[in-house]
Amino acid sequence: MADKFINDSMLEVYVFETLQNIEQLENAVLESEKTGRYSAAAINEVFRIMHTIKGSSAMMMLDNLAELAHKMEDLFYYIRETQPKQVDYAALSDLVLSGIDFIQAELKKIQNKEPANGDVSDLLAAITAFLEHLKAANGDFKQEQNTLPAQPAAGGGQAAQPAGKLAAYEAVLYYEEGCEMENIRAYGVIHNLQEMVEDLYYRPADILENDETAAYIREHGFTVGVLTARPAEEMRRFFEDVLFLEKLEFRELDAATFTARKSGAATGRAQVKAATAEFGENEEKSGAQKAAAVATAGQGMISVNVAKLDKLMDLVGEMVIAEAMVVQNPDLAGLELENFRQAARQLHKITSEIQDLVMSVRMVPLANTFLKMQRIVRDMSKKLQKEVKLQLIDEDTEVDKNIIEHISDPLMHLIRNAVDHGLETAEERLAAGKDKTGTVVLEARNVGNHVLIMVRDDGRGLDKEKILRRAEKNNILTKPAEEMTEKEIFQLIFLPGFSTSEQITEYSGRGVGMDVVAKNLEKVGGSVSVDSVSGQGTTLTLKLPLTMAIIEGMNLTVGRARYTIPISAIKESVRLENHKLIKDTDGNEMLLVRGECYPIIRLHEFFKIPTEVTNLEDGIFILVDYEDKPFCLFVDDLLGQQEVVVKALPRYIQNKRIRGIGGCTLLGDGSISLILDVSGFVA
Amino acid sequence: MARVLIVDDAAFMRMAIKNMLLNHGYEVAGEAENGLAAVKKYMECKPDIVTLDITMPEMNGLEALKAIMKIDPKAKVVMVSAMGQENMVKEAILSGAKSFIIKPFKEDHVIKTLQKIL
Repeated sequence: MADKFINDSMLEVYVFETLQNIEQLENAVLESEKTGRYSAAAINEVFRIMHTIKGSSAMMMLDNLAELAHKMEDLFYYIRETQPKQVDYAALSDLVLSGIDFIQAELKKIQNKEPANGDVSDLLAAITAFLEHLKAANGDFKQEQNTLPAQPAAGGGQAAQPAGKLAAYEAVLYYEEGCEMENIRAYGVIHNLQEMVEDLYYRPADILENDETAAYIREHGFTVGVLTARPAEEMRRFFEDVLFLEKLEFRELDAATFTARKSGAATGRAQVKAATAEFGENEEKSGAQKAAAVATAGQGMISVNVAKLDKLMDLVGEMVIAEAMVVQNPDLAGLELENFRQAARQLHKITSEIQDLVMSVRMVPLANTFLKMQRIVRDMSKKLQKEVKLQLIDEDTEVDKNIIEHISDPLMHLIRNAVDHGLETAEERLAAGKDKTGTVVLEARNVGNHVLIMVRDDGRGLDKEKILRRAEKNNILTKPAEEMTEKEIFQLIFLPGFSTSEQITEYSGRGVGMDVVAKNLEKVGGSVSVDSVSGQGTTLTLKLPLTMAIIEGMNLTVGRARYTIPISAIKESVRLENHKLIKDTDGNEMLLVRGECYPIIRLHEFFKIPTEVTNLEDGIFILVDYEDKPFCLFVDDLLGQQEVVVKALPRYIQNKRIRGIGGCTLLGDGSISLILDVSGFVA
Repeated sequence: MARVLIVDDAAFMRMAIKNMLLNHGYEVAGEAENGLAAVKKYMECKPDIVTLDITMPEMNGLEALKAIMKIDPKAKVVMVSAMGQENMVKEAILSGAKSFIIKPFKEDHVIKTLQKIL
């Protein structure tokens, strides 16, 4: 669009708002589908949203989207106005959902700066066909039920009043091209004339009832005759002032011509009055609504660009570091600074409050992500002809926005797997004595600094034998099958190059395996585990950190290097003193703490760092319990506990995929510390 | 310069009108995203002119128009409509709307309509 009011931020708002609208639309449709029918409110909502999308898309010159929304709007207009008895609601939902998909695809293109030029003709044809079918089944109706009164007979009563110095004029108005709705503009003129004239007529006479008159006026102009006491100049000026007037013909008439033409035009002022009176009634009603309007408070919400929040988060992170740099400044070492310490404590209190607040602002409920799964389950259950119920539990649990973005895809994958492979067909279920409708439960739960998301199905469960056979075939077994616990066998499905399904279906098994799910979660510091009971179902549990920006960490040293290990990973730290060192048959060192064996990983050996502390008695052990695989890290010394801001590793280091390192951070004295990723030590 | 209250449930539309107005030195007195809020905002900020969308949740543009005209019979309200809403626009004109603009609207169209009414 050439207009200068359209800019990038307009486009951004358009995409954002339209995405929001179709999300709302999708929920309305899915909600309606559950009850089997569309409530009046739902129909109205679909209508309104389509109307909004139509308007915005037309402004953006996205004709295909505008056209699609327009057609949908028409369809729901018909349904709203006629309330047809026989509607194939399932087909209606399919239609709207495919419309939503189309709009979504187009918006994606726009976001990727590609032209949004998808072909909408098939969809339009489908909607038209549906509407025709609906009309045929339920009887047609007049497209616009006119609420205005029928046209009364010509010749207003007032015309007989004393004429005095009345003069008659006739004006023909021609409107500018493209101003649209000429008949209503003409009507506005008549409406405004009321106060100025004693009597009037106009041609075409049926501008109110018949919208086709707009075309007539475009071509032949709109003719108004008036009988008035006002001077000719004033009347001319009135007509000249009409909005979007292209040309005006204005002439004086004699009384006889006026009367003749008036009866020819067959209309009068009475009609205008009657129409006005009719709407007067409605006006009374809205008085009460006005009172309600005043009582309702305005909304106290604003939307904020996520980029700004990210920036804010970054700055708060820097501030936390800066605070540490001041408070733990080496120059202060050994000084007695009571006042300073007091002020520093106050500063710390405020920074941590700000930090909490910024975190909470970034938290979004999982509900939206969960609701998206409704659509997937719905589509799949239709295609696969399995009856599936999706149950959401605690979907209002909140997670950092960054994390939410990363779990949508893995979650979708798990849900697909559950419906496709996990759940049996209705016959199998009945044969096994289960309800023929399968259930998939999507549950969120807050556990300390983590959020657990569980995808649970009541299907056939994982087949251990099949998993083992597949793992053997693909050569990914790490130890003899006989020695593996059930849990270890299940865990095999997360290894790269593993796919249990024999047949490949449309929904799952496209070569993207569970290993991708696991990888995606690792990226945000999460993990996935599986639990299954044969014949009763499978549960996949995603464990996610609440946030990945700031963590509570323990700083430690090895030689001259500094490391930080997330507090959440530490079980405890011990010195050798009372504990026993043992060696397994392969000669691996183990630490025995209260009867439990912890394999020892010497960090200086692991990272090949020269240090003077190689004697196990001099250093310290950090006991870590990572997913039921306990081990301990041997380090030189602990520096202390601190909140650290997690920074990504520079790209050149990231590419080397160094095991055991998850990121880096700045310490109070300005030195760099590497953040340990405990999962890297057991892999 | 004239102060305008922009009422539309779509932020996109509000932004479109706002940009057009700002290009021509108008002042935006306020924005509202439904009829209820519009009536409330009207009383708060007493704008010179209102652009009022018709299809909105809570309270639609027609109802809001009538409420505004009740509060201030001299209110200058321009309806923002779409093709196909002829009947609504007729009713709006009968209820006191000064004029209307039709989506998708052009900048000069909007400005001209407002100038005429002020």
